Amino acid sequence: MTNKEKYKQAFSVLRASDDFSLEVNVMEKTVKRWKLNRIVAVVAACAMMIGGMTMAYAADVGGIQRTVQIWFNGDQTSATVTFDGNGNYSMEHTDDDGNVHYQAGGGVSFLPDGTEVPVTEYEIMEYLAGPDVQYEENGTVCVYWGDQKVDITDKFEDDVCYVKLENGDDTLYMTVKYQNGFATSPHRYLSPREFN
Amino acid sequence: MKLPVETVIEAFRHNLYAAAFNICKNAQDAEDVVQDTFIQYWSQNKDFETEQHIRAWLLRVAINKAKNKNNSLFRKKTLPLEDYMESLSFESEESSELFEAVMKLPEKYRIVVHLFYYEDYSVDEIAGILKISSGNVKVRLSRGRKLLRSTLKEAWDDDE
Repeated sequence: MTNKEKYKQAFSVLRASDDFSLEVNVMEKTVKRWKLNRIVAVVAACAMMIGGMTMAYAADVGGIQRTVQIWFNGDQTSATVTFDGNGNYSMEHTDDDGNVHYQAGGGVSFLPDGTEVPVTEYEIMEYLAGPDVQYEENGTVCVYWGDQKVDITDKFEDDVCYVKLENGDDTLYMTVKYQNGFATSPHRYLSPREFN
Repeated sequence: MKLPVETVIEAFRHNLYAAAFNICKNAQDAEDVVQDTFIQYWSQNKDFETEQHIRAWLLRVAINKAKNKNNSLFRKKTLPLEDYMESLSFESEESSELFEAVMKLPEKYRIVVHLFYYEDYSVDEIAGILKISSGNVKVRLSRGRKLLRSTLKEAWDDDE
């Protein structure tokens, strides 16, 4: 036998399990804006979701993965978010060249009595669904929310920009401090002095 | 073109599993990688040129996901490789020894060896899938072969 034949014979024992199945249910599910009554701290998130979300039930991995749309380098693309049930998530997406980009994060929230509990899957999704500001290499500054991309590069005055965002029935008033964070409110523009 | 996901699963799932196992060295992570790769295929609005393009893309995604899995905090506790190997039905002792020798190779040699000997890809095609130079592939393949030769002796031909 040649080496290739020997190799193939040896590795032919590796077979994906017989009960492998891929049941994909596409659910038109909208991320509802949800007001948190707890302080939520989530770290290491740098992407945002849009409203249209699908859920993929993966029977043999024992859990639910969410397939979501994210903004990446100015383009919308699909990503898979996996939750570990302990307040952590990992998110992967693959670009057109097959490169897999990976990020992960997690956090805790604090109950009124100070008890620390892991953030829930819903809280993480809520966090990820919020607006995001990205500073591109070419100097442009864009806000992403829902399926919207708003170029705010020229809207800064004294390093502060105010932008009104609308996504379906939701409206957010966003205050952006150049390279120094942002804050949103559904009711009014927050003063730059009120955050950071 | 884009083939239905069911067709792609039937055609490539065992190949993806073998490639993922080659990197992860455990069954459960490899199963996860296969699942994630097909979800990625299903959710990606990508136009492929040929079936071979799909195969190469799937392998590339699975390999990258498997590498990420190895670096992830979320790795599942699984059977040691030795225990898993006992559950496999090798055709001969020689096959078992070859399998074990390959799994002991460094990862960067292992996947190149696998793509060459199992998937029948050429050096240039492997370079395209792994996004490394052909020269780099040749070096890794050569070193992998030498290690296999030194472990397996006469059971592995000198085919450089």
